[in-house]
Amino acid sequence: QQIQENLNKQLLDNLVSFLSQSHSDFQEKTTEWTCRMKFREIPTAALVLGVNVTDHDLTFRGLSDVLQDNITPYVALLEAKDCPGIKNLMQKLMGQLMKCDIDVESLEDEDCVQVSQNRIRCSMPSLISWYDNVTKKTDSETPSKKRNSSSRHWQSPPVVVIFKDMESFTTKVLQDFIVISSQHIHEFPLVLIFGIATSPMIIHRLLPHSVSSLLCIELFQSLSCKEHLSTIIDKLLLTSRFPFKLGGKVLQVLINIFLYHDFSVQNFIKGFQLCIVEHFYSQPLSVLCCHLADIKKRVYSLSHDQCENIRRLPSFRRYVEKQESGKQIELLTNDSFLKEETEKLLEDLHVYHENYVRILRCLHVFTSSLPKYPLGKQIRELHCACLENRVWETEEYESSLQLARMLNKTDLVTMLQQCVEILMSSSGKEFDRAVEKLKEFLTQFQNLEAEASQERDVSVSPQKELQKKTDLYHLQKTLLELKESRRSKKLTKFEMLRFEVVDYIDSLVRRYLVPADERTLHEIVYFNAAAVLRGHLNAAPRTALHTALNNPHWYLKNQALRCDGGGISNKAPDICIVYKLHLECGRLINLVDWLEAFSTVVMAAEEPNADAASSDQVDDVIHARFIRAVSELELLGFIKPSKQKTDHVARLTWGGC
Amino acid sequence: LAKKNKEQKMGNLVEEYFEAHSSSKVLTSDRTLQKLRKRRLDQVLLQWIILLNECMDLNQTGTSLIPCICSLFCSLGFNIVLYGLGSKRDLLEKFRTSLLQDSVHLVVNGYFPSITVRSILSSITEEVLDHTGTFRSPLDQLEFIAKRFKEDSSLELYVLIHNLDSQMLRGERSQQILAQLSSLPSLYLIASIDHINAPLMWDQAKLSLYNWLWYETTTFNPYVEETSYENSLLVQQSGSLALSSLMHVLHSLTLNARGIFRLLAQHQLEKKDSPSYPGLSFQDFYQQCREAFLVNSDLTLRAQLTEFRDHKLIRTKRGADGVEYLLIPVDDSTLTDFLEKEDEDV
Repeated sequence: QQIQENLNKQLLDNLVSFLSQSHSDFQEKTTEWTCRMKFREIPTAALVLGVNVTDHDLTFRGLSDVLQDNITPYVALLEAKDCPGIKNLMQKLMGQLMKCDIDVESLEDEDCVQVSQNRIRCSMPSLISWYDNVTKKTDSETPSKKRNSSSRHWQSPPVVVIFKDMESFTTKVLQDFIVISSQHIHEFPLVLIFGIATSPMIIHRLLPHSVSSLLCIELFQSLSCKEHLSTIIDKLLLTSRFPFKLGGKVLQVLINIFLYHDFSVQNFIKGFQLCIVEHFYSQPLSVLCCHLADIKKRVYSLSHDQCENIRRLPSFRRYVEKQESGKQIELLTNDSFLKEETEKLLEDLHVYHENYVRILRCLHVFTSSLPKYPLGKQIRELHCACLENRVWETEEYESSLQLARMLNKTDLVTMLQQCVEILMSSSGKEFDRAVEKLKEFLTQFQNLEAEASQERDVSVSPQKELQKKTDLYHLQKTLLELKESRRSKKLTKFEMLRFEVVDYIDSLVRRYLVPADERTLHEIVYFNAAAVLRGHLNAAPRTALHTALNNPHWYLKNQALRCDGGGISNKAPDICIVYKLHLECGRLINLVDWLEAFSTVVMAAEEPNADAASSDQVDDVIHARFIRAVSELELLGFIKPSKQKTDHVARLTWGGC
Repeated sequence: LAKKNKEQKMGNLVEEYFEAHSSSKVLTSDRTLQKLRKRRLDQVLLQWIILLNECMDLNQTGTSLIPCICSLFCSLGFNIVLYGLGSKRDLLEKFRTSLLQDSVHLVVNGYFPSITVRSILSSITEEVLDHTGTFRSPLDQLEFIAKRFKEDSSLELYVLIHNLDSQMLRGERSQQILAQLSSLPSLYLIASIDHINAPLMWDQAKLSLYNWLWYETTTFNPYVEETSYENSLLVQQSGSLALSSLMHVLHSLTLNARGIFRLLAQHQLEKKDSPSYPGLSFQDFYQQCREAFLVNSDLTLRAQLTEFRDHKLIRTKRGADGVEYLLIPVDDSTLTDFLEKEDEDV
């Protein structure tokens, strides 16, 4: 389990470092810009960040760190939920600025006297938290404080205020703040940074002209979240560094949630994390999911039960069936032999991964430049397609091969070069042959160029003939001949070569891109429970309620409850009966009729049990049950009491749901 | 083809919506519960009957899930939410008694009608953190809690909330605060929701703070506790005036006072068909009472009316012209019953 934690941490670290890296150039740009803008009137940077609000935290944290290191110690992050009014905003701002102040000065320790003085004065408010902030919050005090604490800084550094979510601020607060700070801009150099989720239009919508004219806005665009996703997939899934892999369906679920729901990289990572935990929790053999170096040790420490678990794996059974009988018996009975075999298989699996990734990239180089992208533009689509089934059996692959056969030479050459680079980067011997082959192709192409120039000379000659003959009949005849010859002409050398290359790539694909499901022992490394994942991450409570109310037999495992179509079984729970009766009504429901319908249904159930001797008492009971069921429906939000008519309730849903 | 099917389905759904909401005329019968001639059950009786009939309870399948994996997920920063038909109270209780026995935990009954976020927060600060201070706003309190949790990493708290989507907690601000609370690293939230539109409370920011892990738990258990606070139409409200209480109060009054009330009731019943009837104005009422020799002065009538008002027998309303109008806030059928009874007595 420790290993799993380690793995987890490793993954996350990797991700975070990557994310911050991808933001860094963007941050650099902004910091540079703040440097430049120091002395003009309120400079404002508008960062267009995209709708994935949840990922922005990291960006802003990184940005404020960078700013703090490079330019100015005074950075305040404001969130809309903390600032419902201008008062709260000023409070928050002061609090953060003072805290920044203290932090930085304690680090520097220059002239002790002033620092200590400063610290005493500033630590008071931080000690008694906001009580003192209230006294200091008046903005007339802000500039004065600013002046005396920053005068000995090299050149009065700007104060950066970051508004995290521009859209959710109230207009009035924002306007007031901007107007107030613009009054004090001379003593109090301020830089505003707006984080915008939608589009820069929002600035003009939120701020009237008189206010926005006080700002000097520059726009910055951040990377789109889709690019983030593709790089993350590139770094996480398409490396051999992490032994844990995602199955095709699971990956599809995660990508779908990303693309169709929230565009949030954070959520994608969370989902991935969940996959890891589920895998290591549910799969007893996941101990073996580790780096190549550790496999041997772990395989030998397996207990007998775990060996049995290996034997029970479906992919292993398939493997056993293919072996000859003597080996089969050994595998099924002898633990130590099994361990040796497992080790070999796991190593095979690792090798397979490395090869897989390389060839996948090669194939991607080919397919991503084809028109219409039959196999997808991004490498993740290709990856999904390869994981799910044999890629060469799909129609898309067929069509992309056909397209590839029509490529022109320069494209083909550059692609081959890229492939060679990719394959060269691998250290394994496996690809030496492939690389050589591809190189050979390349040299052949270079040779072709020379030959082509000769060929051109040859091809000129028939045209010359054409020009010689002038009468119509002959012209026609020669043209027809030309056509004939062209049709029957043997393919040029180039074309031959092209076919050869494509075929070779095809063979590579067939060899290495076998879907993981067909490998032995893939269960150890791959996580495939897509349904579980979808249930946990992207649930549909409404659907669950609907099925529970409509088909209670689904959950209660009672065949007596099963009924066809719109029928109402009288053995169902009260709430289901009431629900079904309510489905038949329109917008308003009369309680009396409803009750009567309910009691007819229930009475039918009751009658076989007891004769209606104590009908009055039964009636009371039914009434009570009805009331309870109705109030449950009200709690669930299907109906609400209506004032339109006496003793009526209004339906809040429509149709069959 | 499947897509087309789906589109068609969607179209149907939309049509159904407009069908349901297009006709302003509603075709239902005009029968009311009063005409059923059936006394309304009061709440106590209702519960009695239900308790007697508990034998025909449902078999409790679907409770198979006791998520022992919960703690593992919790430690990773996920919070757990349970959805599905049926009360999830017992399930959470079982979970609590079996797993959280020795760890610090807090149970919040969301269905309780007077619960507020502030009470949740203060129970955390007072009981768990042993802090006896007051806070100006929930935000400050939240900040304090966050600080304490960050300082003391050994502090762990499980918060179980029954019915996160209840009336009191479904507000935007309370959800915001709860979401921020749940995003604290060593505070684990386990909640249940019931309302079909519960996920509408959360936007993306809140969802990412909550970091939910959804579990479907359909239990079919009756919502006993939850609906005990839900006021239904069919159950007699203890707050509203019942016939019996009306009789009781009036029996203790003088003959003249009863006459005055009768007069008002009769007048109200006469005018019950006109929807814009504002009530009887004081001047007219005084005139009628004088004519029936029930009062002799303005002052005595006013004193009598004050007494009625104290017993919540009448309500006064100022009309647009500044005149006081008198109304009996009891529905007409009860009033008719009352007059009939009065006649019998006399």
